[in-house]
Amino acid sequence: MTDGKIAKPDFDMSRRDFMSTVLSVSALGAAASIMPGISQQAWAAGQAVKGYGVTTAQLKDWSIMTKSTGVGIDYTPTNADIGVFMRDVMGNNLGATHDIFIFDGGSEDILGPEGFFAEIDEKHPQLTLWERTPDSWKRAAYLRANDKQYGVPVIGNGDCFGYFPAAIDANPNGMDEIPWTTFFEGEKVKGRVAIDRSWLQSMSETANFLKHHGRLDVEDPADLPAEKARVVADYLVERKKAGHFRTIFSAFEEQVQLLSNKEVDMINCWEPATKEANNALGPNATIYAFTVEGYYLWGHGANVATAAMQRDNVDNIYKLLNYFLGGEYRAYQAKERGYAGPNMDLGVQYAIDHGWSQADIDNLKWTDEKVKRKFQKPFYCKVVPENAAVMEEEWQRFLNA
Amino acid sequence: MAAILDHQEVGPRRPFLQRALDRLAPSKLMVPGFLLAWSLLVIVPLVVIVLFSFLQVRQFRVVYEPTLATWLSLIDSGRWMAVVRTLRIAITLTILEFLLAFPFALWLAKGCRSKTFKAAVITLLTIPFFLDAASRIIVWRSILGTNGAINTALVWLGVVDQPVEWLLYSEFAVHFGLLGTHFPTMVFPIFMSIALIDDDFIQASSDLGGSPAQTLFNVIVPLALPGIVAGVVFTLVPLMAAFVEPQLLGGGFVDLLGNSVNSALQQLKYPTAAALSTLVILLLGICLAALILVARRRTDIAAMFVAMRR
Repeated sequence: MTDGKIAKPDFDMSRRDFMSTVLSVSALGAAASIMPGISQQAWAAGQAVKGYGVTTAQLKDWSIMTKSTGVGIDYTPTNADIGVFMRDVMGNNLGATHDIFIFDGGSEDILGPEGFFAEIDEKHPQLTLWERTPDSWKRAAYLRANDKQYGVPVIGNGDCFGYFPAAIDANPNGMDEIPWTTFFEGEKVKGRVAIDRSWLQSMSETANFLKHHGRLDVEDPADLPAEKARVVADYLVERKKAGHFRTIFSAFEEQVQLLSNKEVDMINCWEPATKEANNALGPNATIYAFTVEGYYLWGHGANVATAAMQRDNVDNIYKLLNYFLGGEYRAYQAKERGYAGPNMDLGVQYAIDHGWSQADIDNLKWTDEKVKRKFQKPFYCKVVPENAAVMEEEWQRFLNA
Repeated sequence: MAAILDHQEVGPRRPFLQRALDRLAPSKLMVPGFLLAWSLLVIVPLVVIVLFSFLQVRQFRVVYEPTLATWLSLIDSGRWMAVVRTLRIAITLTILEFLLAFPFALWLAKGCRSKTFKAAVITLLTIPFFLDAASRIIVWRSILGTNGAINTALVWLGVVDQPVEWLLYSEFAVHFGLLGTHFPTMVFPIFMSIALIDDDFIQASSDLGGSPAQTLFNVIVPLALPGIVAGVVFTLVPLMAAFVEPQLLGGGFVDLLGNSVNSALQQLKYPTAAALSTLVILLLGICLAALILVARRRTDIAAMFVAMRR
């Protein structure tokens, strides 16, 4: 090693000073690493952002993000239970300890105006991808309340049902549109249909089906006033008594089990359930449908806790929000879960730049096309409908019939 | 005697803690203290639950205005059917459990002579207490399903042409799942009370010419009655709150009170959950009062604790 090759540092440091500094930093690092709640990864990346939200918004390995953004995340996953989420944010004041929340868009209708969520600062210097994000994603109603932006889009999809093509004589390539009529009234699948116990999803899907076929006059299938909810519940009770449903399931694991065991032919499940089932049964054994009548659209929004804006980690929070709009997150979410989101082109570019296989790149492109195709149909969703109470009561009538 | 008294008077002073404990005579401090603690820990929360049932929730927030709306909604929503169904299934299963558990407990206490085997059986009975209910029950789905082990065997053997669908997602499946879960809670108290019956009583009955049936009904059952009552209580009460088995094996078609309460809590409908819980408490109170009234003619309920002390 010669002076000619290595530039001399422009400060002088004695051996004692150097050792003292090394020991101090080591001691500080060791102390931080044993402090509860601070992971070594987060410590390495500076102050971690504390997140709370749905499991499906997670990357399977957050260290990828830390490596590319320098921001760590300490994420507490929860299920998609709106009641639990509202209780934790409102009742348990989770904003005092957590910086961001990721949940089905719609919760901001209550939590925004009530002051639990902060308005998104669209001009924040760390939110560099905001401008290029299409309005169809960032201005979606489920991210806004009272004309104010409370959320940043994270992932989204149009939910419908999975099916075994042979059971309904459908094209096995899965490209045909399957009517919800088959799901609710198909003779071939009678007694072999599973319906989600979540009234939010199942009642909305049923209402949209009835509306599409002129059997229900309702403005928003996801927010049913008392008399409309009664019509929907009556229809479901009639189908239940006719023996159309095999089971009313309640968990993701059940969806996978019902498909993998071939216990049912059709199920209004989540798309990843068909992926998991196909892992067990073989490629394209089950298909997640394109439908005639439309989809239950959901989108996860990332919301910032109002209290977090008073803390000193705002830059990292906005770096994280920006990451959700970027290519790396998009590519991994589509690859691991089949979910789309804003700026899918960046995801494809990321895959190309990072040498992903052609099959993976094609899969990302397909995810984008798939969601675009779904969004051409009517879609509906409301996480906190105004008529939630009456809908839940009517749903109980269906369960108890 | 005087010498003894003198000795006691001049004897060494006992430790402070022992003297303090001695002063806690049951009638002076212990009973009122226990009643106060019991009231705070159990009765007060119950009163709060009852009061909460007269409130309402709007947009995930409790509205603190007294109303009967929550109670009326139990009828409109059909939740009352879950109450009736729960009561029916709980009572049916308690009777079934008793019919299965009593002969088993009698054999275990008096018939099984091998101590090792008896210890092994008792250990096996405790297994349900160690395993999480959901993990234990979910296994049955792959056994009872249309493509499960039982149906596959039945079809393969030619017993049936098509899989038997009611094996899963039916009341049968729920009864089946609950039966295994609550068997130990019925067996253990009955086993303990029968094990405490002196063998000489049974031998004496036989020596006096009593038939096995007479010995059973006139000696064993009356002496085991405290254990039977305890078994019924320990089985009936948890059955009223069961929700894992109905959810996993009933497939949503056998909604019990536990499921209804759970569903209400998920929507933060605390008043509805409170009203349903009040109903459970009310029903349990009625069932237990009936049980005590029936059992009182034959035995003293407090005897179950005396038996344990023996």
